[in-house]
Amino acid sequence: MNRRLKLILAAGLVVAATTAGAGAAFAMLQGDVAAALRSGGQAGEQSDGYLGVVGSGSADVRSQVDAVNIKRRAYYTDLAAKRGAKIEEVAATTACELFRTKVAPGQYYRLPDGVWRQRDSAPIPLPRYCG
Amino acid sequence: MRAAILTRLRPNATQGAMRRTRLLLAAPVLLGSAGCVQVAAPDKPIEINLNINIRQEVVVRLQQDVKELIDKNPGVF
Repeated sequence: MNRRLKLILAAGLVVAATTAGAGAAFAMLQGDVAAALRSGGQAGEQSDGYLGVVGSGSADVRSQVDAVNIKRRAYYTDLAAKRGAKIEEVAATTACELFRTKVAPGQYYRLPDGVWRQRDSAPIPLPRYCG
Repeated sequence: MRAAILTRLRPNATQGAMRRTRLLLAAPVLLGSAGCVQVAAPDKPIEINLNINIRQEVVVRLQQDVKELIDKNPGVF
């Protein structure tokens, strides 16, 4: 193998490694921010369809929650427009689904009464409109 | 009559309204000349109102769409 070929191979390897690394980092960044906040106990799901900060929360947690909620709001707005529904209706329906499927035992949730509760092994008692 | 009361109490109400209308009409021109519209994230957190008024049939109608929305956007939900 001549030197030039070796160099090209090495360069290729470096590019491949960097791409893979960047991909993983991107997944971590993009990846489950909401799930991480829920499982860390710093944030919980609310019946209005948004994440809420449990307790006072650090500035970092608050900004992460805000960032997630801004994205949620955009998705809700979009779907509401598509289906001729109110944003709040899409958001509340999403909350029902998140309570059912995404809040694990030990994680926090907040029903219309405004109280943060920690889910035990039983399913979350859903508001009646959740069906 | 409501309008009459308004003009009696605030004689410049109509003028004020006209000025506002003129401003509104001018807004697109100003925006157009600026060339681009800046969209910034609000610095205040989104206001939370937990007391939602929603009927179960609306939830049922939206449910499938919402499930897809959640599945397609891990990280946000």
